[in-house]
Amino acid sequence: MRNYEIRVGNLFLREPYGGKKMIPKNIADEFDQCIKCGLCLATCPVGKELFLEKFTPRGKIQLAKHYAAGDLEISQHYRDIFAKCLLCGACSVTCPSGVELKEVLVGMREEIVKKRGIHPNLESAIKSLFVNHNISDEENNERGDWRDDINELPDHMYERELAEVVYFVGCVSSFFPMVQSIPQNMARILEAADVDFTILSGEEWCCGFPLIGAGAPEKMGELIEHNIEQVKGLGASKMVFSCPSCYRTWKEYYKTDLELFHSTQFIQRLIKDGDVPMGELHQTVTYHDPCDLGRNGGIFDAPREVLRSIPGLTLVELENNRAQSICCGGGGNLEIADPDLSASVARNKIEEIQRTGAKTLVTSCQQCVRTIKGKVRIEKVDLDVLDITDVVVRAMSDA
Amino acid sequence: MIIDSIKDEFRQIVGDEWFLDTPEDLVVYSYDGFLPEFKPSGVIVPGDRDEISKIMGVANREKINIIPRGAGTNICGSSVAREGGIIIAFHRLNKILEIDRESMCAVVQPGVVNADLQKAVAGYGLMYPPDPASMFVSTIGGNVALNAGGPRGVKYGVTRDYLLGLEVVLPSGEVINTGGKALKNASGYDLTRLMCGSEGTLGILTEIIIRLVPLAPARATLQAIYSDLDDAATTVSAIIGSGIVPATLELIDRTVLDVISDYGGARFSKEAEALLLIEVDGEESLVEAQGKRIEEFCKERGAVQVERASTPEEAEKLWQARRTAFGAVASLRPNCIVEDATVPVKMLPAMIRKIVEITKKYDLKIGVLAHAGDGNLHPLIMTDLRDREEMARIDKAMEELYETAIGMGGTLSGEHGIGIAKDRFMGMEFNEASIELMRGIKRVFDPNNILNPGSFL
Ligand SMILES: Cc1cc2nc3c(=O)[nH]c(=O)nc-3n(C[C@H](O)[C@H](O)[C@H](O)COP(=O)(O)OP(=O)(O)OC[C@H]3O[C@@H](n4cnc5c(N)ncnc54)[C@H](O)[C@@H]3O)c2cc1C
Ligand code: SF4
Ligand code: SF4
Ligand code: SF4
Repeated sequence: MRNYEIRVGNLFLREPYGGKKMIPKNIADEFDQCIKCGLCLATCPVGKELFLEKFTPRGKIQLAKHYAAGDLEISQHYRDIFAKCLLCGACSVTCPSGVELKEVLVGMREEIVKKRGIHPNLESAIKSLFVNHNISDEENNERGDWRDDINELPDHMYERELAEVVYFVGCVSSFFPMVQSIPQNMARILEAADVDFTILSGEEWCCGFPLIGAGAPEKMGELIEHNIEQVKGLGASKMVFSCPSCYRTWKEYYKTDLELFHSTQFIQRLIKDGDVPMGELHQTVTYHDPCDLGRNGGIFDAPREVLRSIPGLTLVELENNRAQSICCGGGGNLEIADPDLSASVARNKIEEIQRTGAKTLVTSCQQCVRTIKGKVRIEKVDLDVLDITDVVVRAMSDA
Repeated sequence: MIIDSIKDEFRQIVGDEWFLDTPEDLVVYSYDGFLPEFKPSGVIVPGDRDEISKIMGVANREKINIIPRGAGTNICGSSVAREGGIIIAFHRLNKILEIDRESMCAVVQPGVVNADLQKAVAGYGLMYPPDPASMFVSTIGGNVALNAGGPRGVKYGVTRDYLLGLEVVLPSGEVINTGGKALKNASGYDLTRLMCGSEGTLGILTEIIIRLVPLAPARATLQAIYSDLDDAATTVSAIIGSGIVPATLELIDRTVLDVISDYGGARFSKEAEALLLIEVDGEESLVEAQGKRIEEFCKERGAVQVERASTPEEAEKLWQARRTAFGAVASLRPNCIVEDATVPVKMLPAMIRKIVEITKKYDLKIGVLAHAGDGNLHPLIMTDLRDREEMARIDKAMEELYETAIGMGGTLSGEHGIGIAKDRFMGMEFNEASIELMRGIKRVFDPNNILNPGSFL
């Protein structure tokens, strides 16, 4: 009759990894750790939208395992599956068994690039990254163009020979008009607090973050070296980033002794020291934790402290906040690989925001602002989407 | 193997997009929470009942196995293609069709996730009590097919107790309706309850009518901390014996606490040898009074301390952490065997003593987790399958465990089902005549044995 190998009670069998070592052992270890309980399905925004098992984190772990064991090839289909992921890390924090899903997901992207090259939708962006040193089609010397709209721009135009603090603007805020207010705000805040800071302007190159999600982190070397070199001669001891992904990339991939801050942390300090005068702002807002700042960067309190320090402002939390925050749809290069899916995730996020009743959403990442604001505009939703620096500047104006 | 012309027939029924047979799709529908893998020949994702009926028609004609699958979270190996065949997945049947406040019931499709239903009915001031720890993923179809229970079972019972009626596609493709919205029903055999717990072997559930109850206006969550496991167990049977009915009464031992205590910001006591997680619900004044009585009860029976969660969020964090216990314990060693033996609640202390004894006798590492209030134990046996010598000891230990449980008037499985996890132990609980009767029922429903074959029968 039936002959099952495993006949021992009600059992979570974790088959030992017996596959050919086609991918590094540290990732393979994670397969054994997955007990297929499915709890990660509850938090994956992609799995919830596409629901077929292959699109869920549990399914992807299985696909990685069977690739490692040598019984699945990296087909076109296989690649498309792994591209449908935000690298938001929600699965990793849900997993009770401690599977480092994000490691596997990023690791598999690298493996896929090795076997089949960069994803076709990303190819041109990556190419121009090495030509222009940014993720837009524009030349890198236009990186400082956000300054054009600033009245009373100082003569040095924030480019100094020596400075205590380097403000690393990041590609998205530098080149996309929708979010250029972020560096403009940052300059205003830093100036108001008399911070001795500089920007790198045309010598700032992309931090390399897009290459991690594209599965080609080994290509980051050139960018890292250049950026480190640029910062060196400035005599700086601190760096500030308004982009959470730049911040994390520097923390994890750059070897530097400089003190690194996300803008929310830096501004929180300035406010605490009384360096930024805060006026009243009578408004109810809700706050979206960007994946790379919150869950993946561990910064939850700084932005909330900043908001709380504004008299009159009321913060209502989203249903899923802090580590449970749901991705806006802008992560993992998904916007390029599958724009429709990214838009669906954004729509779900907006619905969650609307359930709070707040008419203003605050976040602290230019990419989240772009994704959510873009969708809000298309669907004509009555929602104001702001970066936290927008809010701080508004409060300052009333001081 | 299934020939291409039949696959084409399936494709015609559901559309190309919803019949899947790529290597990637087959590999991800080859497991459930029990883990042994059986690769199916295809996966079909129907959009409505009529498609399901047509699918069964073809399958019955061609004698192709069909295996229903919800979220694949069962831990008895009952939603995998054990003898080959096609997985039928209910991802697209995920709608709540109706919430009928006046009749206190809801009509849902099988793929609705338990927690989504809970949330939706809460908006009407109602509650669907069965709350398996997998509630954020597992489906109502899977819950019904396995008669799932959860912590709230003590006061509210299990899935079976909330089942009013079903629409079922039989293996022949015919559609039947059982029960209805009426709360009482004494006509004919109770086919509704026969389907409940049938592990997807008798028919495919396409619509489910469930009973709802009013959402309790107030609730309180307490944790009672013990320095002795036995004291915690005797408190449980004493509470139940005294006529107080808490909504939940969970027991967690040191081993389990160690791994869940910090999950998602939960704050469990770090000093406890054992802990009772208790929830009372109802009218505000009742909750107050019951909470106090339980507190006294626990202290009289050796609780070192009793703490009350101060906010609903704090309480939810404790429950959230409790729900992760399986997975968290499973991460300690390569494998974890989750037991599900259940005894009458007054036997709980004796049963827990037995588990402690067995742990020592066979030199094993076992964590104790229990829906204690209804006598449902989940000893978690941590092991490494590759260690044959230890596996042999575990095998003996489990046999002794089941014999003890059944000897006490209990059962092999309180809520996880039999599947291929415990089929070999069926003889302990049922005599040959009962099993033959079950086989006969299966033959009547499914003469060709195409629906989820290879189960406990
Ligand atoms: C972390 C974790 C915690 C758990 N906690 C609990 C718990 O507290 N209480 C508990 O009782 N269980 C628990 N379980 C077990 C499991 O979650 C339940 O058995 C659940 O009911 C399975 O639902 P599912 O949607 O995953 O169904 P599946 O696992 O996919 O299927 C279960 C069975 O239902 C059948 N089936 C599914 N849909 C249909 C349908 N439409 N028609 C006919 N048959 C169908 C399948 O063939 C199979 O036999 C837990 C599991 C995990 C992994
Ligand atoms: S939550 Fe973790 S253990 Fe469970 S299925 Fe997902 S990855 Fe596997
Ligand atoms: S990283 Fe985010 S999108 Fe990707 S599998 Fe995990 S939860 Fe899903
Ligand atoms: S991470 Fe920062 S520098 Fe890199 S692409 Fe994004 S915005 Fe540009």
